[in-house]
Amino acid sequence: MSFITDKQTLDDLNILGKYKPGSMFNLFNTGQTAGGERLLEDMFRFPLSDADLINRRSRIFQFFRSHALTFPFDQDQLTQMESYLQDSGEHTLLETGLRVIRKLVSAWLLKDEQYAVMQAGLLATTAVLQTCQVLLDKLNIQDRQHPYFDQVAAVGDILNDSRLAWIKTEKEAIPLSFLHVIRYDHLLRKILKNELNIILSFIYHFDVCLAVNQVAIANELSFGVALPASRNRMEAANLRHPTIKKAVGNVLSLSENTNLIFLTGANMAGKSTLMKAFGITMYLAHMGFPVAAESLEFSVKDGIYTSINVPDNLNMGYSHFYAEVLRVKKIAEKVSQGENMIIIFDELFKGTNVKDAYEATLAVTEAFASYRCCFFMISTHIIEVAEALKTTCHNIRFAYLPTVMSGNVPTYTYRLEQGVTSDRQGMMIIENEKILEILYSDQGLHPNT
Amino acid sequence: MLFTTDQQTTEDLNIFGKHGGDSIFTMFNHTSTRGGAAIMESMFHSPLSNHSLINKRSRIIQYFSATDSFPFDAVLFDIADQYLANTDERTKLSFEAGSFVKRLSNLVAEDPAYKFVYTGVTAMIEILSSLRSFTEKLALTQEASVKEDLDVITAYLRSSPFDSLSTGNRNGKLAYTELQEVDVLFRFRHRDIIKKLLQYIYHIDVYISVGKTAAQRGFTFPKALQKELHLLNLQGVYHPRLAAPVPNDFNLTPSGNVIFLTGANMAGKSTFMKSVGIAVYLAHMGFPVPADMMEFSVLDGIYTTINLPDNLGSGTSHFYAEVLRVKKVAKELALGKNLFVMFDELFRGTNVKDAYEATIAITTGFAEKKHSMFVISTHIIEAGETLSKRCENIRFSYLPTKMNGLSPEYTYTLKSGITADRHGMLIINNEGIIELLKKGKTQAK
Repeated sequence: MSFITDKQTLDDLNILGKYKPGSMFNLFNTGQTAGGERLLEDMFRFPLSDADLINRRSRIFQFFRSHALTFPFDQDQLTQMESYLQDSGEHTLLETGLRVIRKLVSAWLLKDEQYAVMQAGLLATTAVLQTCQVLLDKLNIQDRQHPYFDQVAAVGDILNDSRLAWIKTEKEAIPLSFLHVIRYDHLLRKILKNELNIILSFIYHFDVCLAVNQVAIANELSFGVALPASRNRMEAANLRHPTIKKAVGNVLSLSENTNLIFLTGANMAGKSTLMKAFGITMYLAHMGFPVAAESLEFSVKDGIYTSINVPDNLNMGYSHFYAEVLRVKKIAEKVSQGENMIIIFDELFKGTNVKDAYEATLAVTEAFASYRCCFFMISTHIIEVAEALKTTCHNIRFAYLPTVMSGNVPTYTYRLEQGVTSDRQGMMIIENEKILEILYSDQGLHPNT
Repeated sequence: MLFTTDQQTTEDLNIFGKHGGDSIFTMFNHTSTRGGAAIMESMFHSPLSNHSLINKRSRIIQYFSATDSFPFDAVLFDIADQYLANTDERTKLSFEAGSFVKRLSNLVAEDPAYKFVYTGVTAMIEILSSLRSFTEKLALTQEASVKEDLDVITAYLRSSPFDSLSTGNRNGKLAYTELQEVDVLFRFRHRDIIKKLLQYIYHIDVYISVGKTAAQRGFTFPKALQKELHLLNLQGVYHPRLAAPVPNDFNLTPSGNVIFLTGANMAGKSTFMKSVGIAVYLAHMGFPVPADMMEFSVLDGIYTTINLPDNLGSGTSHFYAEVLRVKKVAKELALGKNLFVMFDELFRGTNVKDAYEATIAITTGFAEKKHSMFVISTHIIEAGETLSKRCENIRFSYLPTKMNGLSPEYTYTLKSGITADRHGMLIINNEGIIELLKKGKTQAK
């Protein structure tokens, strides 16, 4: 079963997008090969929802951390090999021979380059296979329990195939004889076509692993530990937003008994950033990728939905409020089907008046909170909702991002604290802007003085 | 003093619209000439703040609303505009060009410079002669404000070079030397007069276009009163862009210059505010308004806050955007201006308590400005109760909702008082979200 998510969530968390600045895909897309990029995109598109698969992938990444490895393949040779293998070979050795002869003749008579291109592709493939052998010797994985063992062993078996024995002896620069070309070409492009594609996939995978590991080191990311869904908990230490420089870390934990974090705080205090950081971390963790946290343990969930920047959709004639209602409805449908989801709502129902928003947030939060196998993070600026929830729900953790006043200027710590904020800056902002003074300036009387 | 407004207001009221959508401007703009459209746009950009000017324009438009079509050939003005725009001395026809050789070569292949001057001058002469016959017909009018402008124009037309040109009884083509002289007259020596004459015609175009719109849509011409009266009296005001609008009566006086508006989400608060805003805006242009009757004392400006954008990109919250907006209005008020101010759903970007306190503080402050007019909508009815004790000049109105079973129905007719109607939860319940979650829960057990 695949991990459930949708476009709104991917946009909110800025996950995909090669050309989007700050996207997670962009952060990790530092590989050398185009095939690696395709593989990485697949991994981003389809996170895993099985603890064993996640842990195995993450252990392979970790293996790279403990070994100083570099990408040993020559870029040009790889590209040549790719295009060489894309042309499929002939059915029989005889047909291959005829084609090679035709190319050879047209090279003599017409100064055609086809023969040269083919020979170069063959030589490049040989060179890549030789490099691959060197790499396998260097990796030298004998332990059958090793997460990387299966992949490495598969490639090793192919390279040890007796039909490929000539690879080890063939020297790159020497022009191959005409008969050799026919024989090798038929072997590589026809008989061993699938095997060679396995080797290419291995190389791409190796490329992704190297890139991910380098990004992890450069950004001080670490690997999470996936637990089975039945454990139903998550714990993160020093959780940050991966693309924000000098981001402040926070401890987050959720479990069956407290499966909802209710977040309050002033508008600039960093609520959205914290929620995005949480969402991104859970998403990357389900891919088996390193996350921006000191440590992370999490039970595997079935999917993630966020509602951080709900677009108005005024074209369809919906008001902002109605757009939010529809979004909540969609999520409620998934949750009520019994999926274990991670749900993030930022500033729920901000498109309507305070009182409707109060009632709606309260009702919806209460209803969602009873789904103990889902994890929720819900924020609001309406602190009265938190007061009401305190009395009705006992599985909610109340947290806030504080505002510290230095003189008249608010400053923010970005450090999560327990409880509900009592910062009520509404009137303070009005006083700072001196609006009442302006209004009463020509009358010299202020009703409150 | 100018009538002040800002982009937020014109967007709220959809005065200009986006990309030629259904704006108020396009509703009136049926002008035949480009010059007319330009004048119409500048009228929309700068409403008037002087009651005699407003009434004068309004009377002129009323006069012309009887005229059914623009009495000039619209194509001529495109030619004339292009012709007059060229003020390059070198395009004057030269004297030696009148020689025999030149004329001969002109027969073989037409000289573009000559052609340009020729078509321009003939178009101008045709315009002048139409204008002359138009003014002669118009001279019979008794309407003083029309006559005022007419006299100026007639004087120009009767002055020496134009008198003969505009009588229009010439036969055949202009001689080369004649063309040369007239060209210099039009484009250089009497350029100012020519421009004034054209502007006059463009204004006529605007008046006819507006008058026609008024007649077709049944708009009324408001009566502008002196500033010092501080009155606004609207009867049967409605939103001109709705198919079946519900008209409302509405008035403001110094003893009741603040309207505290309550009502449910879909009850029509914003539409009502927009229709009042549009009427006030149009009235200050001297234009007809979508209402049965309107009297208003002239104000110095209008500021509305109906669809305030969040500006999330710049990092300011919705609440802060609202506060800055209130501050802007407060500053204008402190300058002693008499304004028409509207706030829809004031302070929705903060928590209930703050919204309550802020609404009371700001509304009390506004209420002190008895020479300005305010319409403030909110859902915080408690604020209304406190305000009713504190200020005498706040009036309370609401737009009612009738429940027809589970589905709300709206009358869109303003009533006095406060309502606690809200339907946010109703919408959520109608979508069945809470039931959905409860049902899923019981199934899981």
